[in-house]
Amino acid sequence: MKIKSIIFGLFSIIVCSCTSPRYLTSSDRIDVNEYGSHIKIDHKSLSSIEGELIAIDSNTIVILQETSMNKCTIFKTEDIKKFKLRYAKPKHYGWTIPVYTLATISHGVFLLLTAPLNLIVTTAVTIGGERAFTYDNDDLTYEELKIFARFPQGIPCNVDIKDIRLSLPPTKRAK
Amino acid sequence: MKIKSRKKLILYISVLIVGILIIQACKTYSNFRSNYDDANKLLHATENLQTKPFLKAHLKNGDICILNNSWEIDTISNIVNGHGSKYDFNRKLEYIGEIKLQIDSVAIFETNKKLSGAESTRIAALSILAGIDVAVALLCAANPKACFGSCPTFYINENDNFHYADAEGFSNAISPSMEYGDIDALNDQHIIDNTFSITMKNEALESHCVKDVKIFAYPIKEDERVYQSPKNDFYLCENQYSLSKAEADEGNITSLLRNQDQQERFSYTDEKNLNSKETIYLTFYNIEHTNNLGLILNFRQTLLTTYLFYSAMGYMGDNVGDMFALLENNNELRNNFDNTTKLLGGIEVYAFNQINDSWELQNDFNETGPIAINKQIIPLHNTPTSSKVKLKIVLNKGLWRIDYVSLTNIKEKVSPLEIPPTSIFINGKPDKTSLAKINDPNKYLISMPGCEFKFNFTFPIKDSSYELFLYSKGYYLEWMREHWIKDKKLLKLQQMVYYPEMFLKAEAKDFKSYETNMEEQFWNSRIDTKTFSYYEN
Repeated sequence: MKIKSIIFGLFSIIVCSCTSPRYLTSSDRIDVNEYGSHIKIDHKSLSSIEGELIAIDSNTIVILQETSMNKCTIFKTEDIKKFKLRYAKPKHYGWTIPVYTLATISHGVFLLLTAPLNLIVTTAVTIGGERAFTYDNDDLTYEELKIFARFPQGIPCNVDIKDIRLSLPPTKRAK
Repeated sequence: MKIKSRKKLILYISVLIVGILIIQACKTYSNFRSNYDDANKLLHATENLQTKPFLKAHLKNGDICILNNSWEIDTISNIVNGHGSKYDFNRKLEYIGEIKLQIDSVAIFETNKKLSGAESTRIAALSILAGIDVAVALLCAANPKACFGSCPTFYINENDNFHYADAEGFSNAISPSMEYGDIDALNDQHIIDNTFSITMKNEALESHCVKDVKIFAYPIKEDERVYQSPKNDFYLCENQYSLSKAEADEGNITSLLRNQDQQERFSYTDEKNLNSKETIYLTFYNIEHTNNLGLILNFRQTLLTTYLFYSAMGYMGDNVGDMFALLENNNELRNNFDNTTKLLGGIEVYAFNQINDSWELQNDFNETGPIAINKQIIPLHNTPTSSKVKLKIVLNKGLWRIDYVSLTNIKEKVSPLEIPPTSIFINGKPDKTSLAKINDPNKYLISMPGCEFKFNFTFPIKDSSYELFLYSKGYYLEWMREHWIKDKKLLKLQQMVYYPEMFLKAEAKDFKSYETNMEEQFWNSRIDTKTFSYYEN
């Protein structure tokens, strides 16, 4: 049971490390990215919601959900249990877990030492890689979270949130 | 004690490496983004920077302008100038080029510090780890035995590593049909209470199928020893005569063979033919009792036979399963499979007959395995006419490591007690299933890589000295390595089996380049210790 749980955990890390939102940019281009960061919130009554962070004011947060036909939704901050923000595309190191660990088969009896070493380090690197460009509610207040929104100033007066879309350039779409 | 310190050191270093790599791996970033709702604050924050950051101007209407690092603010006319891109509120690109913005139209200015070396620490951690992995893999490729071991190894002190193995079981039994019982000397042991333990380890990439493990014990008095012959007869002996002189091709080697000190004499193979013999001449002076003499030899093999076995596995390539099935079902093939090692032969012992002025063959020592040192006796048929005894041993170059040679007087042939295990412990806990398997002649105790079994034996008499021997019976299955599959050469395998003379000549050059490196690495990593029970005799 224990082994199954560990295998499942590692498998999850590897699989989860392979997906990134399309509008996120690489870490070396965060100063020229025109979009808001990706946010995932745990709602008190709804299932978890994720999408581009559009704006925040004192009571509400606006998220452009990728799953709801490219539409913005407003949530009250008091209904949010926790959030996790990602501001750049992570580098995925999930592949290193099986590759490095299996490579220790060439170490003979020393694999008893080198396999756990490889497993621990590559898992840490993978988790570290995934968490590198993230913040959560322990790191940021809602006030501080604003600077990662598409509109850090709040929803502009002339813009109706119904009109806000995710408009990716062709190259980004291709990705 | 030395071994414990070494283990602790390795553990500390490993923990340290893991710690450093994990810290490296988990690096995150903070405070790289700044927002300004006032152009003066932005100017103040960026005035001392050598290189200005890119500027994002979030406009009040929801548009955004991203300006490269040549932007300027004209505080008199309240304008931001720069080159960049403009996007609408849906982030559709509207314009690229020179941009002039009224400061009043900007809601927030944003700057970002570059996340310099964002991934370099993680890549460094993986590179260090890859370096360690490659180094260990290269070491193992150059010296397979050090990493992969061979057959079950047995330790009186369970914390010892394979350099100090007290015995290795059934090295030749590489498939079920080749199963046999093997006896290894464990030296004289004083059993303080009536229990004795020995730990069996699988330190190789092999599956060990162990049918039987028991102790052969013979109670001895002071100055008595029992030695085992290559035919597995046991001889009670007294008196020990040290070697006076030993000469080989390289000159006088007496100091290497006189003492049981693991300072072994070995030679390298002939560069033109692996099947090349050499002779060592042994002389003993002042033998008081010349009747019933026996030659004691402490010896083991070099890594040559391991190389040949691994080569055979490699030549089988992805046909290894078919080949082993053939070996199981074809007696002729099975008998021929080890033709190369048969040709290399054992250590032939000759005694000089002073009457006939000729050398007469007595018998030969032959035990496979490069790890544990074998301690065996060959009774000499000839009775010398004087107190000087001349012997010679003929052996294949580069195949044998000899530690000790001496003569003794054989009192009688004896039959030791056979003591089966009374309990087996795994990880410090008794395991009745394993005990039931080992005591059932129709069942096998299976030992996979990393497994350790501690066998406990109960002796009939407390507080006595015994000469002990380990009996182990079974077979093992070598695991195929991925990198061996590409070495598939069935014709070479055929040559090895049916034309061993030709094969040993052809392979000499390849082995030569492997031999020096392999032997050096294997033995340079040896730890010298006086606590090894072997020296207490």
